[in-house]
Amino acid sequence: MTHDEASDLLGAYALDAVDGDEFTELEAHLESCPRCRAELDSLREVAAAMGNSVEPLPEGLWSQIAVRLPERQEDQEPPPMPQLTPEAAGSPFRSPASNGGSSPRRRTMLTTIGAIAVAAAAVAIVLGVGLVRADNKVSNLQSAQAASSAAAAAALNAPGHRVVTLDAGTHGQQAQVVVLPSGQGYLVSSSLPVLDKGRTYQLWAIEGNQPISLGLLGSSPSHAAFTMAGSTRPSHLSITSEPAGGSVFPTGPIVATGTV
Amino acid sequence: MPRIDEVSDAQLVTSIARYSEVALAEAYRRHGGAVFGLAKRVLNNPTEAEDVTQEVFLRLWNQPDRFDAARGSLRSFLLAQAHGRAVDAVRSSSSRRAREARDAMRTADSPYDMQREVWDLAVADQVSSAMGELPEEERRAIELAYFEGHTYREVAQLLDQPEGTVKSRIRNGMRRMRAVLADAGVRGVDA
Repeated sequence: MTHDEASDLLGAYALDAVDGDEFTELEAHLESCPRCRAELDSLREVAAAMGNSVEPLPEGLWSQIAVRLPERQEDQEPPPMPQLTPEAAGSPFRSPASNGGSSPRRRTMLTTIGAIAVAAAAVAIVLGVGLVRADNKVSNLQSAQAASSAAAAAALNAPGHRVVTLDAGTHGQQAQVVVLPSGQGYLVSSSLPVLDKGRTYQLWAIEGNQPISLGLLGSSPSHAAFTMAGSTRPSHLSITSEPAGGSVFPTGPIVATGTV
Repeated sequence: MPRIDEVSDAQLVTSIARYSEVALAEAYRRHGGAVFGLAKRVLNNPTEAEDVTQEVFLRLWNQPDRFDAARGSLRSFLLAQAHGRAVDAVRSSSSRRAREARDAMRTADSPYDMQREVWDLAVADQVSSAMGELPEEERRAIELAYFEGHTYREVAQLLDQPEGTVKSRIRNGMRRMRAVLADAGVRGVDA
């Protein structure tokens, strides 16, 4: 197929209206022709604009999707933590080499959580929760413990730091958190009791009436690091007990809370 | 940390590649209605449209690297996926012949319909008026191909026109649309 023949077909191709040998030959040409690829991309945007009429989503459809997400095998190592820096937004995306599209994944959240995320757009769900959740046992907080105890000590000497004491009321258990003006924060000490297997402590920033997850602390927290968005101005920090893997929204009892 | 509903689509896909179900749920919240809407329009069948919607988001979960942010928006990527699957379903349908005749009549008889709930009314208005400005034969050829799932050769048969003519009409119509939408500043569409 010549370039001109291919070019003539791109409009129909963007509408999925080419089939048979022409389809095969056109795909082969596209492989080797950046000009046609660019033309196709722009025509696909036109097609998308024509087809862009939103219908209300049927109830329960998300649940059907969520239950079909393949499980990841227990012995598989979690993928490395993503770098969710602003720069990542513009860069062409490449999946991890180990992914290849076939590796089964651990389904770490029940369908209800997806439903919550869908239903409550306004609920502040920190992306980090999903990521912490994704590797469950080795949360980024726990893996950062060794490094963060030194960093936490440094934070206690940094200008502008605030110490928040999270009190558990009558039981005398408490946790101390230090927060820097940058939003970086550290759990510096904790006397919270060790939780049963299958549970984890989770740290929340309470802003207005909205809990914003700051991450998982594990079942026996000592040191951990977390980051609050610069715009987050919580009135309180709270720790709840949650099922291992954490929650998008607090489900367990508040075991300690403190005023910022 | 950014809130999930504030991160970019490209960041969402990055998180989906790292097994974040929250990120997939957010992608579904943002684009699921459009995916379902297009599938339903092509298939004319809500149950089959639900199947297509499921497949599109499962594929995004399993093969997130198929999306290349440098080549276009996530919405147009997902809509292209939905359209391809819907068209496949239409073409494998055994009742295709009866459908063809019925659809041809319906398309020929009805004006272009954008009067439904839309993601972005301003864009929909621009698209609608751009479609309206197309020469009648270009508009019909595009509609029969895109919304009814016909190949351009089938469109030629339905309209009793030479294949080459229909191919050119679709191409010219699409380019005309692109120019109008680009002038109107529709995001993602460059002339």
